[in-house]
Amino acid sequence: MPQLNPEFFVSQLFWLAVFFTFLFVFLWRVSLPRIATVLEKRQNKIDENLSSAKELQEQAMEIEKKINDQINKAKVETDEKIKETINALQEDVSSQLSSLDKDLEKKISDAEKEILKNKDDQMKNINNEIANITKLTVGKITDIELSDNEINKVIEIHKGSFN
Amino acid sequence: MAAKDSPLKQFEIDPISNIELGGYNISFTNSSFAMLITVLVITLFLTLTVNTRSIIPSRMQLISELMYNFIAQLLSDTVGDNGKRYFPFVFSLFMFVLIGNMVGMIPYQFTFTSHIIVTFALAAVVFIGVTILGFINHGIKFFTFFYIPGVPFYMHPLLIPIEVISYLSRPISLSVRLFANMLAGHTLLKVFAGFVVSMPFFTGVFPLAFIVALTGLEILIAFLQAYVFAILTCLYINDAYHLH
Repeated sequence: MPQLNPEFFVSQLFWLAVFFTFLFVFLWRVSLPRIATVLEKRQNKIDENLSSAKELQEQAMEIEKKINDQINKAKVETDEKIKETINALQEDVSSQLSSLDKDLEKKISDAEKEILKNKDDQMKNINNEIANITKLTVGKITDIELSDNEINKVIEIHKGSFN
Repeated sequence: MAAKDSPLKQFEIDPISNIELGGYNISFTNSSFAMLITVLVITLFLTLTVNTRSIIPSRMQLISELMYNFIAQLLSDTVGDNGKRYFPFVFSLFMFVLIGNMVGMIPYQFTFTSHIIVTFALAAVVFIGVTILGFINHGIKFFTFFYIPGVPFYMHPLLIPIEVISYLSRPISLSVRLFANMLAGHTLLKVFAGFVVSMPFFTGVFPLAFIVALTGLEILIAFLQAYVFAILTCLYINDAYHLH
């Protein structure tokens, strides 16, 4: 087995020491610090971004709170205004309704009075017409001249039956 | 032993240029070349992909960052806050073993992690480092690491030697695990590659298909062994901080 041949042991150890020492020193002094710098830089950047993101989030939350406050305020205000308007309108409506009611009542009573008056007038006319018709009819049929008083007496007697 | 088409021939070391220093042979070999490639791949990749240092990473930069975070996570999970100091070392170890294994998966490329001397050297660095760390952190009290509390007193003569042996065998188990996995995997690939050539007619297709599947498995093992090496290193570091 060539591995157990001591001929090149010293050479192997010598070059191993040379190359491994070089590698170790180079990585230790040059390569690894570079990579560490990059990683650190990135971590810093990430931390920075995270903290600024947090800040922005807080700001956004504050703004959201403000907006909500304003919305609530506006809601309360509008609610009040709506209530006020509704109340005013209701008052207006009720006052108008009551005035209308009064008007109507007045008109109705006026109309009733007129109707009653008309009814009375008509009743008088009817009585006169009945008397005239009776007078004419009786005169034509019997040649008896009835006086108005006689006719009125009869009508008064029978008034209850045809009225 | 190392015949022309032996499956072990791939592990032979060939010097590229012969160098001698103070009477020792330190020739630059194909193994050293693989280490060079490994180190170049790691350093260039980790340097170039992160060159722009962009906050939004490119895909390649993301790979580097994922590796960084992978080991950082591993270390913080096992050791905790104390582990940050050892991050460069554990990361280098992980990358060196991982890319070394991956470079070995390239056909005709040498796998230096399949050499026990290399893996043992790495494991010995970990072992010695962790032991020194233990004595720095706990002084002479570090020896109580071998003393398991809550065990009947008559068991200690048996348990303490076992603990000592298991502690001393750590570098061996750590290095042999990696070495044996790489050795076995590459040998198996070579053996089946030999079947592809030697089997009659079209039946060589079957070992070829097996090699394709095995290559996928070997890449998985390459990652897994690097991970195991790194996580065991982390656990040993943790032991140096927290005794029983």
